[in-house]
Amino acid sequence: MLSIKNLHVKVDGKEILRGLNLEIGKGEVHAIMGPNGSGKSTLSYVLAGRDGYEVTEGEVIFEGRNLLEMAPEERAWAGIFLAMQYPVELPGVNNMTFLREALNAVRRGRGQDELDAVAFMKLVREKAELVKLPDKLLKRSVNAGFSGGEKKRNEILQMALLEPKLGILDETDSGLDIDALRVVAEGVNSLRGPERAFLVITHYQRLLDYIEPDHVHVLAHGRIIRSGDKALALELEEKGYGWVLEEAAA
Amino acid sequence: MITAELQKGWARSLLEAGKAPSAPWLEALRRKAGDLIDTLPPLNRKQEAWRYTNMEPLLERELQPVVTPPPAYAGEVPEGIAPHRLVFVDGWFVPGLSDTARLPETVTCGGLSDAVADDDERVKNRLGSVADPGAHLFTALNTALVNDGLYLHVPAGVKLEAPIEIFWLNSEGRNRLVQPRNLVILEPGAEATLVEHHLPGAGAHYFHNALYELILDPEARLAHFRVQDESPTAWHLSRLAIEQSGDSRYHGITLAFGARVGRTEYDGRFVAEGARCDLRGLYVVGDGQLQDFHLDVRHAVPGCASREQFKGLLHGKGRAVFDGRILVAKDAQKSDAELTNDNLLLTRDAEVDTKPQLEIYADDVKASHGTTVGQLEPEQIFYLRARGIDRHRAVRLLCEGFAAEIIEHVAVEPLREQALARLRRVLAEIEE
Repeated sequence: MLSIKNLHVKVDGKEILRGLNLEIGKGEVHAIMGPNGSGKSTLSYVLAGRDGYEVTEGEVIFEGRNLLEMAPEERAWAGIFLAMQYPVELPGVNNMTFLREALNAVRRGRGQDELDAVAFMKLVREKAELVKLPDKLLKRSVNAGFSGGEKKRNEILQMALLEPKLGILDETDSGLDIDALRVVAEGVNSLRGPERAFLVITHYQRLLDYIEPDHVHVLAHGRIIRSGDKALALELEEKGYGWVLEEAAA
Repeated sequence: MITAELQKGWARSLLEAGKAPSAPWLEALRRKAGDLIDTLPPLNRKQEAWRYTNMEPLLERELQPVVTPPPAYAGEVPEGIAPHRLVFVDGWFVPGLSDTARLPETVTCGGLSDAVADDDERVKNRLGSVADPGAHLFTALNTALVNDGLYLHVPAGVKLEAPIEIFWLNSEGRNRLVQPRNLVILEPGAEATLVEHHLPGAGAHYFHNALYELILDPEARLAHFRVQDESPTAWHLSRLAIEQSGDSRYHGITLAFGARVGRTEYDGRFVAEGARCDLRGLYVVGDGQLQDFHLDVRHAVPGCASREQFKGLLHGKGRAVFDGRILVAKDAQKSDAELTNDNLLLTRDAEVDTKPQLEIYADDVKASHGTTVGQLEPEQIFYLRARGIDRHRAVRLLCEGFAAEIIEHVAVEPLREQALARLRRVLAEIEE
């Protein structure tokens, strides 16, 4: 589904990703772990198409298409969804309006009919229930004045509505207490399926207790230096990142 | 630059052309204002209040005052949203196009000149009591040529539930000077909602120079929603002089979309404790347009509150001016004032001059002000695009969100919808 080969990315002239390789197949859950500054967020933004990330080498193929040539909205239509570490506040933009605009834009992009107001309301209520997002937050401005947990739940709600093929979770656990973490993880788990893959980017193993990965990768200095199964995450939790970094250097 | 000579000559010829017979008391009011004109300083850059708003192209025109009611109106009259409606053409009340039949009989609502002809005591006593004719050239001109305009009187304790809707239209023809003089008197405890539309009608080139006197007696409430959507080749000036007695509430919103040069002046004065005014405005300005807001809110007595929230959306080569002055006098303890002005510039060529001024002479007050001038945040646009919304639509959504924070305060729902639709029309056309 996603194939990243020898990806090099510069930000402000500084090389952050230095030859990253990653293959993700349908239905798989991959976790990327790594110390701060290893390039985790850069990877998620490059995949979603944010400005300011200069790809100097390598390729990213998603479902047979060159992802790097696509605009951010085209990537969303194709099935990429990035749940952001810091969801952006949109003062004055009603959350319900936003969700409907997004859903219908994606549906148009996928050649599907738009949903009418009634069908949309029914769908959004159903999905909001999934992430336990209170009704009143649907009526407020997008993320404005939301708590950390509410913002993350709003992200997962968007993911549930837009039904991506690949969901990227960028540090979704940051700033969440254990109850909020559980709600978010349950939301993600309910979206798992044979056709949908996830890339879970996290600093801590904690999230992976709730969202069990098939593969775990360690990202350091802009490269994946080690891959394994979920046991690797537990080992990192126990011993820290030092030993992997040393082994990789050796 | 406008010189004293040019200004005097221009105004004098208008005074000459605008002569019309009227009641002796009104004649005295007019003459006094006319006499002021020679003494008023020219409206040029040397005056702070006119520094960024060049009126010279207007003063180079020969305008024609409208001294008698215009003949039958040939243009279209928009459908209204309220049960009570008043239509004015070239500043004159047109009863045949208006409908005030459902208002309570104790309420007077119609044209000012009719009230003058009826020898209405209240008009005699209160016309000219709030608006200073010497504020500037145009207030003097309006007063010196006062004829018709809106007159609303709501007696004590009468609460009008449904809005009164007012359409300001123009007949065909060029270079008309339209000068409504609007007097609203709400007696103690009275309540009313006014919805105003300033529209081109059949006209295109005209100068709408309105002067309002809004008098709120104790505990009166006035909600006042205005949509200035004049012809893009017209000039528009509205000065709203508001006098608020104890525990009265004035809630005013001006949404400015139209005119080549549009200027709105709020001149608010509290005369007894416990009054509150909420002033809001939105200006949407593009190529060839200038929108100017001037506020002068004076807390002269203790214990009053004012909120001033103004937002500007500028595109193309649009220009805007915001000058918000709040004065808290020495004895006006426990005053509470909060002023904000936020501007969103969608292009490099757009320009805004904003100047909030708090002048505080009392020591026990709550007062704050803040202004911003900025562009759309790239993070916000990216966030929307990452959700499948294309760039153009993302920009529109964000602009709508920015403006919605003013529009959402319009308490008359169909008007709110109209305003949003109007905004969307602009946003659909703009290029970044």
